[in-house]
Amino acid sequence: MSLARDRVGTWIGWAFFADLASALALTFGYMFSRSVTMQYPDKEKWLPYPRYRGHHFLTRDDEGEIKCVACELCARICPCDCIEVIPYEDDKGSRHPAKFEIDMARCLFCGLCEDACPADAIALGQQYEFSSFSSRDLVVGRDDLLGKPGKARTGGGVVAARLNTEQDVLVETSERRGYNWWRNIRRT
Amino acid sequence: MELIVALGLIAFKVALLIAILLLLPLPLTWLERKIAGRMQQRMGPMRVGWHGLLQPVADGIKLLTKEDHIPAEADRFLFKLAPILALTPPFVVFVAIPFGETVSVLGAEITLYVSNMNVALLFVFAVIGLEVYGVIFGGWAANSKYAVLGSLRTCAQMISYEIPMGFAVIGVVMLAQSMSLLEIVRAQADVWNVVYQPVGFFVFFVAGLAEAQRIPFDLAEAEGDLGAGFHTEYSGIRFAFFMVSEYAIVLLVSVLVVILFFGGWNGILVPLPPLLWFLLKVAFFVYLFIWFRFTFPRYRYDQLMAIGWKVLLPLSMANIIITGVALGAVAAP
Repeated sequence: MSLARDRVGTWIGWAFFADLASALALTFGYMFSRSVTMQYPDKEKWLPYPRYRGHHFLTRDDEGEIKCVACELCARICPCDCIEVIPYEDDKGSRHPAKFEIDMARCLFCGLCEDACPADAIALGQQYEFSSFSSRDLVVGRDDLLGKPGKARTGGGVVAARLNTEQDVLVETSERRGYNWWRNIRRT
Repeated sequence: MELIVALGLIAFKVALLIAILLLLPLPLTWLERKIAGRMQQRMGPMRVGWHGLLQPVADGIKLLTKEDHIPAEADRFLFKLAPILALTPPFVVFVAIPFGETVSVLGAEITLYVSNMNVALLFVFAVIGLEVYGVIFGGWAANSKYAVLGSLRTCAQMISYEIPMGFAVIGVVMLAQSMSLLEIVRAQADVWNVVYQPVGFFVFFVAGLAEAQRIPFDLAEAEGDLGAGFHTEYSGIRFAFFMVSEYAIVLLVSVLVVILFFGGWNGILVPLPPLLWFLLKVAFFVYLFIWFRFTFPRYRYDQLMAIGWKVLLPLSMANIIITGVALGAVAAP
């Protein structure tokens, strides 16, 4: 009996488009749910995690001297041959790069240079907004590399974004813990 | 002198109508994209103007400045004619559509319609029927297989759905004892037709969805399997013509549903100005169209034909018979 009643119920539902109505109700509900769009670069942007491989940077030691010893291991291991190092010897007899150039247009951000470096001098940092209209601008020299931001310490946060990337690339995080992707996504 | 004033008034109304119909697709596309975005948890256009409000204007400028490309193998005359043929009928139909009773502006009595034909309904259907030509010519002239397939589908679809659509309104005509849209609305002053004619409304609305080539019946421009249907080869302003005509038809079907089944400008419960009531109802049905579009998948071609011929047509005929019997029973002493 119950089977027959179920069948009748199915037919009644079918005749009055119960399935279509529930579909419409679902989309209507979604219409008033929150959007998951992140409006980059208009309003907000992600901060990269510490593991993120962005723009290279060179580090200094405690005395403010460049850590790089110009061993050229990074240039050797680089799969796309985009690092060029020319060494010199300073007054104290230690080796440093006179020229350290990375062609960001050719770099594939594999991070092998960071792994190969014996002096922990080069690493891939958190900056990723350095697109340019000319590939010539993407050849970055030693002094620029020294000034680049280092690795992110927290990461995953969401901060206010601005179109101008020239300054204030490092903005204070407003959400220091990892951003929850699923926060606004409705799952039924 | 009176003749000149009357003619001037008609010319003004026609110009106003054309301007409104040409401009209305702008907010409608914005609304459609916004609603689509919200339903998919996106935001829709956000960057041009406040919440992307000027996005349709930007799109319009883009379409105007784009290359107006005509395929080398195309039939140039028909190719140029088709967008105009597609654009004209929806505009012409609005001549016969009343938007309200007579209002007095600055002491002068002004009617809210261009003409009150006594066979307005017949006129509406006759002119909507012409819409098919634009589609067929567009598909044929482009000399592309996607376009031809699209226009064949559209052609079959529009012709087969016009029949249940026409039958569905016969019940309304029987109730109002008139084919004038004005009389039909007046006849609904107390009770809306949808109460007496739920089946008629259902058939008319579904057929209207098919006529407007909206999901779930948008076989004509099924972008997944046909490129873009009959306007695959169109670009620039000619494409915009097709788009405008599509929105005008959506609007037209909404207006017709409101006039025929939902009491036109007769309000219920809340005393609002009649024109406002009318616009609110039309807006609801336009929203319904958009809502359907982002809810339902598309029917297969054979399903489309089966719905048209095996479901809607018998339903609309049964509706006529039942309405006739019921009217006879009421009229009989």
